[in-house]
Amino acid sequence: MKLAGNDILIQSLIEEGVEYIFGYPGGAALHIYDSIFKQKKMEHILVRHEQGATHAADGYARATGKPGVVLVTSGPGATNAITGIATAFMDSIPMIVISGQVAKHLIGTDAFQETDMIGISRPIVKHSFTVDSAENIPEIVKQAFHIATSGRPGPVVIDVPKDTTAPDKLFEFKYPNDVDIRSYKPPIDPDPNQIERAVDAIIESNKPVIYAGGGAINSNASEELIRLNEILDFPVTNTLMGLGVYPATHKRFLGMLGMHGTYQANMSMHNADLIIAIGARFDDRITNTPKLFAPNAKIIHLDVDYSSVSKIIEANIAVFGQVKNSLLEMIELLEAKKELIDPKKILPWKEQISDWKSQHGLNHEMHLCETDDKPIMPQAVVQHLYNITNGKAFITSDVGQHQMFAAQYYHFDEPRKWINSGGLGTMGFGLPAAMGAKLAYPNDEVICITGEGSIQMCIQELSTCTQYNLPIKIININNEALGMVKQWQDMNYGGRHSASTYQSSLPNFVELAESYGHVGIKIEKNSELKSGLEKALSMKDRLVFVDVYVDPDEHVYPMLVAPNGSLKDMWLDKETKT
Amino acid sequence: MIQRKLSIILENKPGALVRVVGLFHQRGYNIESLHVDPVEDLKEYKFVEDKLNIKLKEGEVSHLIIATTVNDNLLRQILRQINKLIDVLIVEEVK
Ligand SMILES: Cc1ncc(C[n+]2csc(CCOP(=O)(O)OP(=O)(O)O)c2C)c(N)n1
Ligand SMILES: [Mg+2]
Repeated sequence: MKLAGNDILIQSLIEEGVEYIFGYPGGAALHIYDSIFKQKKMEHILVRHEQGATHAADGYARATGKPGVVLVTSGPGATNAITGIATAFMDSIPMIVISGQVAKHLIGTDAFQETDMIGISRPIVKHSFTVDSAENIPEIVKQAFHIATSGRPGPVVIDVPKDTTAPDKLFEFKYPNDVDIRSYKPPIDPDPNQIERAVDAIIESNKPVIYAGGGAINSNASEELIRLNEILDFPVTNTLMGLGVYPATHKRFLGMLGMHGTYQANMSMHNADLIIAIGARFDDRITNTPKLFAPNAKIIHLDVDYSSVSKIIEANIAVFGQVKNSLLEMIELLEAKKELIDPKKILPWKEQISDWKSQHGLNHEMHLCETDDKPIMPQAVVQHLYNITNGKAFITSDVGQHQMFAAQYYHFDEPRKWINSGGLGTMGFGLPAAMGAKLAYPNDEVICITGEGSIQMCIQELSTCTQYNLPIKIININNEALGMVKQWQDMNYGGRHSASTYQSSLPNFVELAESYGHVGIKIEKNSELKSGLEKALSMKDRLVFVDVYVDPDEHVYPMLVAPNGSLKDMWLDKETKT
Repeated sequence: MIQRKLSIILENKPGALVRVVGLFHQRGYNIESLHVDPVEDLKEYKFVEDKLNIKLKEGEVSHLIIATTVNDNLLRQILRQINKLIDVLIVEEVK
């Protein structure tokens, strides 16, 4: 079959099974847009800002595990996509970003809307390609999808000079069946010797903790993790990125660890004699001061990425491979050695942990305070949402206090239901990410828990939701401030709120939502909270924007003491330190 | 800390070299010297073919030698990060 470059590109995406492409047109991408118009297999979602396109594709990818696909024009289109590419890169999310580029003969001439997209994006992509000729498009697309989705996933940019998609030059089109990149062979199966060493260390341990992160979700290893712990019955903590990979309602679940982790999770890590890290990378929000991290723990580290192991915390036993495969091998060997596991040995440790939990665990009754003389607590908003949705909703979030309250108080029992920008911490992520999740799962509840600061960073996407009829729910936890910034200023800068409040310049969010054709609800009193949220969630076919005014002075706790603190050093409330 | 020499075999493609050089800057390592040539005489590079079980053609890959001053832990980290670059075939320390 003979096709022009633009059709070759679109057909290649269709061959990869792409259902949605999120984008925004412009000069250098117009040939490609014409090909999109002429086909029906893939739907294009016209966003209102290229950042929205990348986050929407990212939300789609996190919800489904399939790569998200983005199309932008050259110059400003490409640069607007950068924040979203960096967001996906930091969280290892598979994404393909196709950027238009000026024609080959113009490259390097400062042509209209020319920008060096490959150069600008280089530090925040897993890899990138420039199309040199239409003939090579199928192979490049095939390789790009392979790289984006295998090993440690990540975003891949394909920069497409306009002349390579010209409609008047035809080439033979055949999509390759296989892909083999001789310089790229990520590990899949673990070294059996390392599995054996890991299992022996597990059997010897007295104070073990399983610490699982986003890599376990990327590797679709939730089931294997649960099976492993049916054998071990060890305490489990998840990172912000890993929430849901182990059921939050399981009795062995400690909650999230790290900067705003639970008391029992952080104490367990600090006092452990064995930490089994599964697809987690000992990021600085987890370790606090690395030198003081878990002083007595042996570390087993399962990861697909060599460069993530022993980067910050030295691993005693490194297990390289897809963590799903590594877990399966561990399960098999543990089953064979079952009689060597002594469950009684770790009983004192479990008792210690339940003491910690009862001393300073999170307050899960906060929503019961429903008198109107007190302001609404932000935690209570999340607790009501959890109850109303039976913990089954997809929750996307932005960045700030509301994000931490969502992570602490919505108990995720399944992976891929919690969608947030953990690594880059990108305000503006929540709304477009919810659009991507809703397109992937139109029959599921998709809720964006946001703050009045973050939502305004991609608020224009309310218009996209109107065009494509995306009935997501937006819960705006409105503390009339950049709350997380303000909390740091309260704690470390003598309460000087430099540039963290808005002096009553906030919009009327209810009217704003209505002007886009959506429903707006304002909640200001405790007595209206539950019924207001129920009403919003009962409107299945409408986007509802719920603007909830909460206590502006509330802080997120626990909070690690930094700098120079360890994981056992936490603020438990405004007055109390451990 | 002592100066180390890294020997890197990478695809001779546009953009491949800048990814390696860029990585040094991104991760805060300093490049003290740098030398790169396309590989024409394949005899000396049989170890690449043997290690990866591939056949090379003349001029298809480049040989890059970079000198940098780092400790052992950082060296391991640099080697792993360079190896992660898609266009890099082999990286090792020259003793
Ligand atoms: C794009 C971007 N700019 C700045 C920041 C720094 N930052 C982190 S949290 C925060 C405040 C967020 O305010 P809001 O969305 O209202 O959430 P709240 O903390 O009040 O719940 C800011 C400014 C960021 N994470 N992302
Ligand atoms: Mg706020």
